[in-house]
Amino acid sequence: MIQVGLLTLSQKEELTGQLYDCDSYFNPIQDINDNWIISVEEIEQNENQLLAWVKDLPLIPFEPKPSPEPIF
Amino acid sequence: MANSNGWGDGAGNNAIGWGQAANNAISWGKSQIDSWAGLTDITGIPSTDSDAQAFITAAGITDATQQSAINTLVIDLKGYSIWTKIKALYPFVGGTSSTHKWNLKDPRDLDAAYRLVFNGGWTHSSGGALPNGTNGYADTKLVASGTLSLNSTSFSVYSRTNTDLLAPSIGNVTGGASSEASLFLRYSNTSYVRVNGGTASTQANSDSRGLFIANRASSSQILYQIRGTQYTLSNTSNSLSTNSFQLGGVNPNFFDNKQLAFAFIGDGLTSQNMTDLNTAVVAFETALSRNV
Repeated sequence: MIQVGLLTLSQKEELTGQLYDCDSYFNPIQDINDNWIISVEEIEQNENQLLAWVKDLPLIPFEPKPSPEPIF
Repeated sequence: MANSNGWGDGAGNNAIGWGQAANNAISWGKSQIDSWAGLTDITGIPSTDSDAQAFITAAGITDATQQSAINTLVIDLKGYSIWTKIKALYPFVGGTSSTHKWNLKDPRDLDAAYRLVFNGGWTHSSGGALPNGTNGYADTKLVASGTLSLNSTSFSVYSRTNTDLLAPSIGNVTGGASSEASLFLRYSNTSYVRVNGGTASTQANSDSRGLFIANRASSSQILYQIRGTQYTLSNTSNSLSTNSFQLGGVNPNFFDNKQLAFAFIGDGLTSQNMTDLNTAVVAFETALSRNV
């Protein structure tokens, strides 16, 4: 089971458009329950000291939204 | 005295001489001007292509094997008459986001140079760039409309991961938009390809590893190549997307989990170009000990 970090709406707003290393941006997305989440890779690789709080985010199982139709 | 290697006092016919010999083929004598041959005449050490060197410098590639592989790739692509058709090429060498982001064709740190912008979760290593399948993708900033031609477009990825997943490894829009360009390497053991059209063409495929090339060379056909095997697929072009190409998925709905070791976007290719591109990329990956 893939784990992801659970964000509040204000935390999502704070991360949007911010770098977690010198060449990579956070990308908060919504899961099937409309929770805002980021990945464990972003949490573990974060070098942005102003956003060091991401390491304390609660982890939840990732439940993706179903893919929108049509696909093919 | 005819030494083959002379540390002596200046023999006349040294093949290699450290003295002030008169006829050194390679000389460490008083000056290069005075020598019969210059240091650059040493055989077995090829010069570095200027485009390869620009990339190596920009990306800070210091490993000699990686430098050589990049140089050979550029020389091969030029020799095959593919180089001028490429708009963006990502060789993913160096093992970090800071080395993987560079476009070999234009290694400037600019959106206009199609330098990658990584978003979400990625793992970078010597094997390439691995998106997490959750929220990772890379924006090329390359928009088909205004950059590519409706009936002359190609794109390609080299995947090192075999997974069956509903996500494109490269694409600019999803959902069957009339301008979609996308490549789903393997979903339900089928590969789906679109190049500037709303309808996907399919090809049975149970392995998402290796080099995949999508190529629209006419208004009615897509040439699709999987690990060196070419398929001609009936498919009608429609329009060019105004969205940029993304790698590792298409945000926000589809995220892939296949490690990328090469990607490119460019003009349409000939059938021979596609064969040659596979040869060049396999040689490149083999040189880096990451061919699958």
